[in-house]
Amino acid sequence: MIGRLASRPAAIAAVATGITAIAVGAAGVILGGGILRGGVATPPPAVGPGRPADIPVPTVTDLASPSAARAAPLPVALRIPAIGVNTRLVDLGLTPAGTIEVPADPAVAGWYTRSPRPGAIGSSIILGHVDSLYGSAVFYRLSHLHPGARVYIRRADRSLAVFRVDAVRMYDKSRFPTTAVYGPTPDAELRLVTCGGSFAQTLKSYLSNIVVYATAVS
Amino acid sequence: MKLRTALALVPLSLAVGLLLGAPSAAAQSTGWIRWGNWSPSAPEFDIYLYSFGDPHAETVIKHVRYGDVSSYTAVPTGQYTIAMRNTGAAATAPPTLSASVQVTPGTAYTIVSMGPASHLGVQVLKDKMSSLRGQALVRVVQESLQQHSVTVTDGTRALGGHLLLGGHTGYLPVSPGQHTIHGAGNSKSTTERVSLPANTIHTLVLLDESGGLRIDTLEDAAGSQTMPAGAAATGFGGTAPPAPGSDPMPWLVSLAGGGLLTTAGVIRLRRIRSGTVRVR
Repeated sequence: MIGRLASRPAAIAAVATGITAIAVGAAGVILGGGILRGGVATPPPAVGPGRPADIPVPTVTDLASPSAARAAPLPVALRIPAIGVNTRLVDLGLTPAGTIEVPADPAVAGWYTRSPRPGAIGSSIILGHVDSLYGSAVFYRLSHLHPGARVYIRRADRSLAVFRVDAVRMYDKSRFPTTAVYGPTPDAELRLVTCGGSFAQTLKSYLSNIVVYATAVS
Repeated sequence: MKLRTALALVPLSLAVGLLLGAPSAAAQSTGWIRWGNWSPSAPEFDIYLYSFGDPHAETVIKHVRYGDVSSYTAVPTGQYTIAMRNTGAAATAPPTLSASVQVTPGTAYTIVSMGPASHLGVQVLKDKMSSLRGQALVRVVQESLQQHSVTVTDGTRALGGHLLLGGHTGYLPVSPGQHTIHGAGNSKSTTERVSLPANTIHTLVLLDESGGLRIDTLEDAAGSQTMPAGAAATGFGGTAPPAPGSDPMPWLVSLAGGGLLTTAGVIRLRRIRSGTVRVR
């Protein structure tokens, strides 16, 4: 070996081969298994079947007393103690394709500004990323929520809208139940949406969405 | 007081096809009820909701005055009894009015007292909670005692003609925005500006007012002003497990081997150049 390398052409060949191996290895790490993920990944933690939360009994309402303000203020922050979420909320509109924009920053969640304000009648919609290119994001643990967990939304006037989780569901993106998630409701509800399921390398996208259904309790 | 259950005034809609969209996840085993008082000469009521056969009230709404309608309460599906007692009456006192309702999954009901004090009744309306995309839906209910028959128009369009006490229209699609609603009875009329945003559902109620007629607006359900299309792209894959075959180890071995080979080659070249290795 040393004898071979002792010759000048052999040493040059060794350097050339070494550099080629480095290039191949680097390309393999970057494209294959390192920075970009590929293929069909194993599913994230299973999402338990949702069940309706128990109705507290009895609820006494006095219509002679002034009820809560009808015009709900704008939401500014979201807190979900059960999964350690504490984030400000950015405004989200619609993409040209008609889907809801996603937050530019994976560390914050966003409120769809054409959905009802949290606390008003209808489903208020909040989106957040499950992960970034490099690690977890604001809704990484959303699928770990259970019925009964509380979700707090702070509004522009510093008031809180409090919601109770009713159900956590996972839907194939190709069969997303748009009406159930985004459609009208007769009471004040909340939807928290993120990604889940398998990640498709070819699409650079998760194949499912996780949706948390919650109903206002105050 | 005599218990009257005005079954004749229970137009429980049989139109199961009313619901266009799938009920939400939470709605699959729950429904909604709201309560009110549309009897102008009746006293204030306390309204009790009982799960059928259970003597303990699940919900109590107190001080329900003429024109009041509560917000919706979500209830598990099943049979319920609604009892209305004069405000202040004991919870054990016989109710002034009572009715029963079967709550089915994902459906909403408005349960109100109605009619004159001498002929009080309970009206149960089945409410709609799915809209026609991009439009507003509106329904008209006639509860005026002073006006025997009322016709309601939206601008030049008739929403409901010659509605009698307790009568109501179906849900009608209207263009979203501000509407001028006009109600005309035998001797009195009223005009109300009503905001009906896209993807909302409203009920307009004609009620008596001292010396006239009035229109109350109830929000039955609301959705987003613009319904988004489908799923959301809320992940980049940074925490997805690596795909099969994407194990970086062979590439790392290649990197390390290449580095060693290159270093060895360069060192040898230097030694050849400096003469420490004799080239044959």
